Amino acid sequence: MRPTSFDKFLMRCRIYQFWRFIVLNLKILKAVHHDKTA
Amino acid sequence: MAKVVIIGAGFAGHTAAMYLGDSIGKDHEITVVHKFDYFGFVPSWVWLGIDAVKPEHTVFKLKPIYDKFNVNFVQGTVTSVHPDENYIILEQAGDAGPASLEYDYLIIATGAHMNYDATPGLGPKKFTQSICHFDTAIQARDAYLQSVARMKRGERQKLVIGTGHPLAACQGAAFEYITNIHHDLTQRGVRDKAELVYLTNEPEIGDFGVGGINVVTKGGRIAKGGDLIEDAMDEFGIGKAVRRGVREVDAKNVYWEDFEGNYGETDYDFAMLIPQSRGVTFRFFDKEGKDISSTVCNPGGFVFADGIYGLKYDDLVKNSNAWPAQYYNPTYKNIFSAGIAFAPPGPISEPHTTKNGTVITPGAPRTGMISGVIGRVVAFNVIDMIKTGRMTHRERMSEMLAVCIASNGKSLWNGSAIVMIIYPIVPDHSRYDNKEGRDMFVTKVERGISGAWLKQMVETTFMHKFQGRIGWQFIPE
Repeated sequence: MRPTSFDKFLMRCRIYQFWRFIVLNLKILKAVHHDKTA
Repeated sequence: MAKVVIIGAGFAGHTAAMYLGDSIGKDHEITVVHKFDYFGFVPSWVWLGIDAVKPEHTVFKLKPIYDKFNVNFVQGTVTSVHPDENYIILEQAGDAGPASLEYDYLIIATGAHMNYDATPGLGPKKFTQSICHFDTAIQARDAYLQSVARMKRGERQKLVIGTGHPLAACQGAAFEYITNIHHDLTQRGVRDKAELVYLTNEPEIGDFGVGGINVVTKGGRIAKGGDLIEDAMDEFGIGKAVRRGVREVDAKNVYWEDFEGNYGETDYDFAMLIPQSRGVTFRFFDKEGKDISSTVCNPGGFVFADGIYGLKYDDLVKNSNAWPAQYYNPTYKNIFSAGIAFAPPGPISEPHTTKNGTVITPGAPRTGMISGVIGRVVAFNVIDMIKTGRMTHRERMSEMLAVCIASNGKSLWNGSAIVMIIYPIVPDHSRYDNKEGRDMFVTKVERGISGAWLKQMVETTFMHKFQGRIGWQFIPE
């Protein structure tokens, strides 16, 4: 599964990447919390 | 009053020291023994190796931190451990001479000893560079800058980065280094003068010693995270030489054997190859003075913990409980091993033996995050033992989350990184009813500039945490 040209555009699109930055932080914090309380 | 001695102040040992000092440092004696007087933030040495950070920004002095946490600090090198009588012998730094330290609980968090000698010609004292230690990362930087100077004069250079032994681990660091080199050479305007080759013992790109990371795509299909990584390498023009176990290095060539048992060589002008790692370098002796190291450690020097050892790979894959949970030594239950120091029960990636009998298998990784988590678990178990006599904390690598951010360029404006969230690190097929043995909702691989921001944020917050600054307890390992 290679990234498409649109995927590559999104990798450089700063507005989209700022959204991904927030989502990744939340995902990681949620997973760490789940990990610690499991 | 209990005495706790911690050997090593890397991610695992330093984390353990902070939690122990914070919880019981005022009432009990906590002592850290470390070869250097500083903590080194290892992930930043990828950037140090291309002169993208100043060396002094990647380290900090340990004693002022330990003073805050009621932890004693001894700079020195342990030479022997006497588990029947609960003491260690060490050579103190400077002219202070040998000393002994008694303990009620011993935490071995020595990290990885770079076994350059396992590959003839490998290492910063011979022909190749290394970003694995502070001083060698500075040397690698200097050699890299010399290579850049040659490129600026119009010479072509071939840079080979990867693993330097059939059983080496830490492929992620090598991948990060070569992609940062690509970014750096592009910024310096000499990328067209460089041929970059990633040479690895992995069976395929993206294995990283964890058997690869499959992910669920937007369409709900299972895809290989390695495809994203390979695509990045193709975009960067990095050549790939997979399934190679390096046998020897000389001034001009890297000699390897591949999975099919063919021998070959790759020429280079600059090479950074991660060596095989070994565990502890000191010996264990019983009260009669007999060397009992083989009962405490495996042949690689990694300390046995509460795992199941000796399983064949096919059985290990089915038994996630084979991975240690509380990290105490089964023979000497007051000795714990944390981080890279504990003996894994086997590889995570499928092992391969060539027709010549050479085993080429990526080693199981223990990143800073994993080491920090284990350091915390061990610290809490020691606190439990001191307060109640019963351990209540546990976390196997088959229950543990790992977040790895492989930088492809430091710049917050035009850098990028590949973010890998793996849960759990060691697949657990009894808990997750899929081929991957992982939580496919959590497990992710993605690339973009957000990764570069995340990497910088992680570095900043980790350095804040490790210096015991306000709120350090709330920052996850």
